[in-house]
Amino acid sequence: MKLIDALRIVGEKGNRELPVLRVGLVCGFTPMHFQTFLGAYIQSASTGQRTEVASGLYGDFWGNLEELSSGKEADDLAIIVMEWSDLDARLGLRSLGSWAPAALPGILENARARAKQFVGAIEKLSREVPVAICFPTLPVPPISFAPGCQANSFVLELRSLIAGLSLDVVRIRNVRVVDPQRLDLLSPQSERHDAKAELLSGFPYKLAHASTLAELLTRLTYPPAPKKAIITDLDDTLWGGILGEVGLQGITWDLEHKTHMHGAYQRLLHALSEAGVLIGVASKNEPQIVRQAMAREDLILPGSAVFPVEAGWGPKSEAVERILRTWNIAADAVVFIDDSPMELAEVRAQHPGIETILFPKTDYQGLNDLFYRLRDLFGKSSISQEDSLRRDSIRRAVEAAPAGSFQSADAFLEQAEAEFLFDFSKDQADDRAFDLINKTNQFNLNGRRLTEASWQGFLKQSDTFLLAVTYQDKYGPLGKIAVVAGRVRGKTLRVDHWVMSCRAFSRRIEHRTLEELIRRFSVQGITLEFEQTPRNGPLREFLGQLLDGEPTSSCRVSRHKVDEFLSKTLPKVAEVARG
Amino acid sequence: MDDIRARLENCFAAVFPTLSAGEIAQADHYSVSAWDSVASVTLFATIEEEFGLELEIADLPELVSFEKIAAYLTSKVTA
Repeated sequence: MKLIDALRIVGEKGNRELPVLRVGLVCGFTPMHFQTFLGAYIQSASTGQRTEVASGLYGDFWGNLEELSSGKEADDLAIIVMEWSDLDARLGLRSLGSWAPAALPGILENARARAKQFVGAIEKLSREVPVAICFPTLPVPPISFAPGCQANSFVLELRSLIAGLSLDVVRIRNVRVVDPQRLDLLSPQSERHDAKAELLSGFPYKLAHASTLAELLTRLTYPPAPKKAIITDLDDTLWGGILGEVGLQGITWDLEHKTHMHGAYQRLLHALSEAGVLIGVASKNEPQIVRQAMAREDLILPGSAVFPVEAGWGPKSEAVERILRTWNIAADAVVFIDDSPMELAEVRAQHPGIETILFPKTDYQGLNDLFYRLRDLFGKSSISQEDSLRRDSIRRAVEAAPAGSFQSADAFLEQAEAEFLFDFSKDQADDRAFDLINKTNQFNLNGRRLTEASWQGFLKQSDTFLLAVTYQDKYGPLGKIAVVAGRVRGKTLRVDHWVMSCRAFSRRIEHRTLEELIRRFSVQGITLEFEQTPRNGPLREFLGQLLDGEPTSSCRVSRHKVDEFLSKTLPKVAEVARG
Repeated sequence: MDDIRARLENCFAAVFPTLSAGEIAQADHYSVSAWDSVASVTLFATIEEEFGLELEIADLPELVSFEKIAAYLTSKVTA
């Protein structure tokens, strides 16, 4: 982004009416253009809010950090950019403190003390707001007596200190740190420092570096929703060779046959699968031979990690359609990978939301780039228990699915031995509730998405509640699959968010959730902040049954109506409530 | 010349979003209240980025109005 564009974005008059998102920026330099870029990137990422970036006093990194972590300012988000001079002023160009050899131990001592102070402040701050941090990005100035090409203990100790500090804070919940390797790729070291601007105005960055840094920090605070699944081709993609031509033993993925890149691709898919990404196959092949190939024990991506496998001679878009139906997810949550541009185009034409990627079967650098791209598309900060359950629960659901009629669904549920855990604690140990609200489309009360800041702000309020529902039955656990959040005022319960994973459909979990809410809060009615979205048909249909008509915004259901409705529809289950 | 003035107007409009096109053409350091030292640094950075040149420190004190900056840029770009 150019500075002129950033200025235009932050200066847009139309934004004045929107609610304010307050960003606390801590840095030791004059924030100037960096503040402008940060405001522009966050403004672009945060729809429906007007961004205000507030920085403290110039040159007072530690005072500003202390002020922010004291909680006196009601910020929604904290961005911290540390440079070497914040650890000791002599590590910057503007200070004229001594660079004599005798000064170096004192500089290191200061830096160590500051590092300790930093961890304490971040622990405190992160309890209040989400924190994004970037550690020093500029070169260490030529302060050491050693020649610049020679590694010296002074600079190595400083870098080691920052590495340790990064590790300490990245383990703190609610804290994210810019990856220096990604920053190196996007903003080379030699293109970062603007000595003239630093000396004349106290702003140490070239504009392009300031822009890149602001963009990465924004991505940490507004990460795109990760994709959920990959549909991959087989021949010359998952393995080298055409299965129908070379036979079961002719397909390879090793160095000897110069097909190692397919093995590397399998390894990445396996890693993604173990992290909760669904992997399916769409292949033009004979189903029987594909079944045999997928059973080969030397596959790096084991056949058991792939479900479903669609092999046949029809259009791939139809195979993709069947896979999406089995997974019950939308095309825009899926990446389709194939070595044929024609197949990619055919699938894209029928499923416009799907992301299609050409497998670079003769381009080794392209393969490396593909790996980074997939990691970005599927990246998440942590792996939850639900991630490890997803694939198997879908497979079980397909194998044990009740027939479509109401009667058989009831019979199925009666014998399923369902167990629920209703957790009302607001300080849940994982981010699953937040993630579910932000990625669920079909059973979603209104499609509203939240920032981490607004979610934490919501939970802090005394009249709000959070219910997370965990489910399992004799077919296995589904994990934490539904979330309801809202407010209790007097005898009325208002539900602002209600989402449920599509894996949990057809188990009457939504019915049981309503019953639990009524019981827990002893209210006479529930107001549901419903909004129709292009995808929340399943929830709309459920509410339609409950209300005997189309749901409207802020629709209210009485306790009597809920009791009457539930008495007709609920099977027997075991339940536990906590929180 | 017209192109330089148009691009410079864009820079001024980004830094001083409340000024109309007519006011930008008349703008100077004295008449525009928002034109303080921080605005100067931002304006010069925007101009350097837009025109791909580095302003000489010695010239900065002279660059106090739209007209003077336009003339300066014309001499730099056409030199």
